[in-house]
Amino acid sequence: MMPLRRFTIDQPKSVKEAAEMLAHHGENGRLYAGGTELLLAMKHDLLRYEHLVDVKTVPDLNTISVGNNNLHIGATVTHRAVERSAEAREHCPVLVDMEHNVANVRVRATGTLGGNLCFAEPHSDPAALLLALGAHVHVAGKNGERKLNIDELIQGAYETAIAPDELMTGVDIPLAAKSRRAAYMKFQIKERPTLGLALVLDVDGGNIKSARAVVGSISPKPARSDQVDKILAGSRADVEKRLADAAQELAKVADPVDDLEGSAEYKRHLVGVFLKRAFIKALS
Amino acid sequence: MQQEKKKGDFRVVNHAIPRRDGRAKVTGRATYVSDVKLVGMAWAKVLRSPYPHAKIISIDTSKAAARPGVYGVLTGNDLEGINPYYGHAVKDHPLLAIGKVRYVGEPVAAVVAVDERTAFEALEFIEVKYEELKPVLTHDEAMAKDAPLLHDRVFEAGALRGFEGDTTAGKGSNICQAHHIQWGNVEEAFKNAAAVVEGEYYFPMTYAYAMEAYVAIADVNDNGVTVYSSAQHPFMVRHDLKAIFNLPVSQVRLVVPFVGGGYGSKSYTKIEPLAAACSWKFKRPVKLQLTIEEAMLTTRSDDALTWMRTAVDANGKIIARQAKILMNTGAYAENSPLVVEKSTNRCVGPYSIPNVQIDNYSFYTNTVPASSYRGFGCAQVTLPGESQIDELAAKIGKDSYEFRVMNAAKNGEEFFPKMRPFEGSLKQDLDIAAKALRWNEPAPKGRAKSIACSTSDAGAYPLTSTAIRVHADGSVTILTGSTELGQGSHTVLPQIAAEELGIPFDKVHVMSSDTAITPYDRSTGASRTTTLMGSAMIDACREAIQQMVAMAADVLKVKTEQIQVIPGGIRAGEIQLNWSQIISKYYALPDGEVIGRAYIRKAGRFAQIPVFWETVSTGVEVAIDEETGKIDVEKLVTVGDVGLAINPALAEGQDIGAATMGLGTGLYEELVYEGSQLMNGSILEYRLPRFKDTAKEIELNLVENQDGAGPYGAKGGGEGSLNSMAANIANAVARATGVRIRHAPLTPERVWRALKEQKAK
Repeated sequence: MMPLRRFTIDQPKSVKEAAEMLAHHGENGRLYAGGTELLLAMKHDLLRYEHLVDVKTVPDLNTISVGNNNLHIGATVTHRAVERSAEAREHCPVLVDMEHNVANVRVRATGTLGGNLCFAEPHSDPAALLLALGAHVHVAGKNGERKLNIDELIQGAYETAIAPDELMTGVDIPLAAKSRRAAYMKFQIKERPTLGLALVLDVDGGNIKSARAVVGSISPKPARSDQVDKILAGSRADVEKRLADAAQELAKVADPVDDLEGSAEYKRHLVGVFLKRAFIKALS
Repeated sequence: MQQEKKKGDFRVVNHAIPRRDGRAKVTGRATYVSDVKLVGMAWAKVLRSPYPHAKIISIDTSKAAARPGVYGVLTGNDLEGINPYYGHAVKDHPLLAIGKVRYVGEPVAAVVAVDERTAFEALEFIEVKYEELKPVLTHDEAMAKDAPLLHDRVFEAGALRGFEGDTTAGKGSNICQAHHIQWGNVEEAFKNAAAVVEGEYYFPMTYAYAMEAYVAIADVNDNGVTVYSSAQHPFMVRHDLKAIFNLPVSQVRLVVPFVGGGYGSKSYTKIEPLAAACSWKFKRPVKLQLTIEEAMLTTRSDDALTWMRTAVDANGKIIARQAKILMNTGAYAENSPLVVEKSTNRCVGPYSIPNVQIDNYSFYTNTVPASSYRGFGCAQVTLPGESQIDELAAKIGKDSYEFRVMNAAKNGEEFFPKMRPFEGSLKQDLDIAAKALRWNEPAPKGRAKSIACSTSDAGAYPLTSTAIRVHADGSVTILTGSTELGQGSHTVLPQIAAEELGIPFDKVHVMSSDTAITPYDRSTGASRTTTLMGSAMIDACREAIQQMVAMAADVLKVKTEQIQVIPGGIRAGEIQLNWSQIISKYYALPDGEVIGRAYIRKAGRFAQIPVFWETVSTGVEVAIDEETGKIDVEKLVTVGDVGLAINPALAEGQDIGAATMGLGTGLYEELVYEGSQLMNGSILEYRLPRFKDTAKEIELNLVENQDGAGPYGAKGGGEGSLNSMAANIANAVARATGVRIRHAPLTPERVWRALKEQKAK
C-alpha cells in the first residue's frame, strides 16, 4: 500500500446534494461510504479519484426500520450495525448470520451494506444472500428515484447499473415468513471467500414449495437460474436426491474460472458440497 | 559449558519474568525506526521494474525532478563516486539497477522529496526505456543450455566468513551456489538395503511477513554515514556501508531501535545502501520506508525441489540417505549461499546415518531475491526428511515414533562427521511429544496425529563481544550488539547479568545495537543470542566482579585472596560491601563506574561448529474435511530441547510463534508466480496464519538438561519448531487418508485433488 494520493472529501447534506456533487465531479469523483474496498484500492493505486463524496454525512441513510413487508436497511448502515440489530435478527436472522461473518470486525465496523453492494466486488457475501432473498435497492438521482433488484443492480465485477450521478439510498429485504428457511454458507481460506452459497426455501411440512439458490464469489456476479430453483422444489426426499443435479446446473450457470482461489473444477465441486450443507442447515 | 548452578538454584535466570519491553509495545510507546525523525529529513520512494529481465536503455528524470517538493531523482547512472554493489556472500547486488533489471520489482530509481506522498506522486513522471531480455524463471530454465546468464562476471566476496564453501556465482552458469556433503558409501548401502523410500518433494517460496516492513533513515555527511535501520545485524550492514562509501569503520554508524519482527528477512543489508545513496546525493537525511507489498518484492525464502531416498537395514536401522536439492534463489545471492550450505547439512536430521550424500544447487532466476528465513533452509529439507521417516516406518510396519526413537542421535555422539557432537536428549523429547499427543490412543474418525523432529547446526559464527557498566549506585547498563526483534533479548540478557552480579533484575538495563556505542556482535539470528551473547554476558559480569574485588582489596587494604564474592557484593572477614559501596569508596565519590568486558571467539567451548544443535520435536493432531480438503489443527505440541530456558515464558513464546509460522507453510503460505509476475504480492492475497488457524489445544514443553555450550548449559531456540510442521501436516494427512502429499503447502484444493486421484486409482 502506497501513501494515498491527494483528494478532497465533499460532505453533502442531502441525497440531492450528493447526486449533484457526483454529477459535477464526473469521473474524477466517487461516492464514499465505508471505504473498506475503495480506499484499499486507492492505497494500492488501482483507482484514482480527486474527489470523494462522503455519503455518510447525508442524514437518515444509516437507519434500519421494519415496514409492512420489508426490512429496510439504509445505505450507510455498517455491517456491524446489521449484525447487532434486534430488528434484523427478528425479521431476517439469516442476514444477521451472514453479516456476522463478513470479513473481520474492523471491516464490519467501518464497511457499509450500501458500499459493499455498490462496489460490486465479486466476492461480496451480502450480494449473494440478498439476491437469494429477493431484495431490491433504492437508487436516487437528479431525475428521481428508481428501484432495482440485486440482479439488475450488479452487472458484473465492479460494475453496477447505478449511473455516475446516482446513489443508493437503501435496501429492502422481504420479511421472513414462517415458512421461509434460509442459510448462507461460505468456504473461505483467504481474505475473501472462495465460494458463498445462499439458499432460501419456502416450505410447507415436508414439501419445498419454492427455492432460490445463489452461488457467489466464484463468478463476476452472483449466479442463479430458474432451472436450478425448479430442481430444488418438491418433496424434501426428492429434492435431496436431486441436490447433485441442482449443484451441477448452478455451477454451470456460474461458469467459474481458474484463479488464485482455486481451479474452476474445484469450485464446481465446492458448489455441490455447499449446496448440500446449506440445504441441511436451512432445514435444521 | 558454563554450568556451575543447577536448575532450581537460580534467583533470576530460569524464571518467567515479564518481558522488559512488553508494556511499551502494547501501549504504543516503543520507538521503531518509522517513529524516528531527523532535522531536515526528506523522504524517498522507489520506482520499480515492470520487467523480469531487461536492458535499461535510458531514464529521463527531468519531469519528476521538476515537480514541486522534489529534491531530486537518483538512478543507477548517478552512482559515480561510490561502490554501488553490495552483498553478504558475493557483491552482486547494485543498490539501484545499473544498466539492467533482473526481476519485476527491482528498484530502478528513487525520488527524494519533502514528504512521502510528494515522492510517491513524482514516480510516474520518470520515463524509463527498456529493451526486454528473455527471462529465466525456474530451476529448469536456469539450467537450460541456452539459458541467458543473469550475471556474467565473478564478484568480490562479501563479509560472509565462517562460510566454508566457495561461491560459484557468476562463473559462467546461473548456478549461484553448490554445496555437497558425503560420507560412507551411499551406493553400496542402497544396494544392500532391506527397504528404501524415494520421492520428489517441493517446498514453496515464502514471505517472512514481519509486521514492520523494511525502513531506514540515512544521514550521510562529512562526518560519515549514520543509518537508523530495522536491520537484524547492524554490524553486518556497517560492513557493506563502509565498503560502499570507502570509509573507516569508525565513520559508519548503524542504530537499530526496536525491530517489529525479523524472522531472518531482516538479516544482512537490504535498503540501507539505497537510503544512504539518496542522502549522499541530495545532502540531507533521507527516510525510506517500504510498504509490505514492496517488502515482498525485496526478500523471500528459497524454495526447494528435493529428490530424496532413505534406506533401512533388516533391523530397522537407517543406513543411508541421499538427496539432490534444487533451490530457486532469485536475482541476487543475498545470503542464499549460506542457506544452501545449511539446508544441505540439515537434510541429515537428528539421526545417526552411516552413509550420506547430499548435493545442493541454487540458481539465479529473474524473481525476487531469496535470503535467510527462520530455520534457514531447514524447513525446506525437513519436509522430505521427516516425510520419508514416516514413509519408511509405514513400509517396514514400524510405529513412526518408535522408528524415530530407535534412530535418534544420542547425546555426545558424533553423528555428523567433523561437527560438534550431538548435545541433546531426543529420545526424551520424542517421549514427551508422544505422551502429550496420547500417541498410543487412536485418533477420532477423520483425524490423525503426527510427531516429527529436526535438528539444526545453529548459532552461526561465534564472534561476539559485550561490555557491562556497573554504576556507582549499583545499577548496571548492558551494552549489547544483539537486536531486540521481539525475541526477548532485552529481558533475557539482564536476567543473566542480574543472576551473575547477585542484584535485582530491575537494576539492570540494556543499551543495544548502536554500532558507535555497543561492542561488536556479528549477528542476531540463527537462534544465537542467548547462547553467545548470554555467555559473553556471564564473562563480562565475572570480569567486572574481578575488577571490583581488586578495588575492594585496595580500599580495604587486604589481599584479593582474602575477599569472598557473595551475591551483590563481597565479604572480607567481618566486612561486607556491595558493588555500589566498592565503587564509591574506590573513587572517593558516589560516582564513577566499572566496565566489565567479554570477547567470544571460535575457541574454547565454542571452538567447534556448530555453536549448538537446535533440536525440537513437534506434534499435531489434525482434522481433515475430505469433501473440501481443508485441514484444521486440533492439537499442537512443541518440545524445545533448550538446555536451560533463561526465561521459560519467552522460550515457549518463541516455540509457539515458530510452530505457527510452520503451520502457515504447511497449510497455506506460498508465493505464487505466474510467468514473471508475483501473483499474490500483498497480504490480501498471501495467506498468513490467523488466530483461527492456531490449534484448539496447545501444549508447549521445554526440556532442560543443561547440556548446551551456552550460559548455564542453555542452547538457543526460536526457529526449531517451524522446521518440522509441514512434514507433520503431510504425515498426518497420510495417516488419516493413506494419501502421501509431497508438495507444501497442503492447501484444501491440493488435498482434495490428491484424495480424488487416489479414489480414481
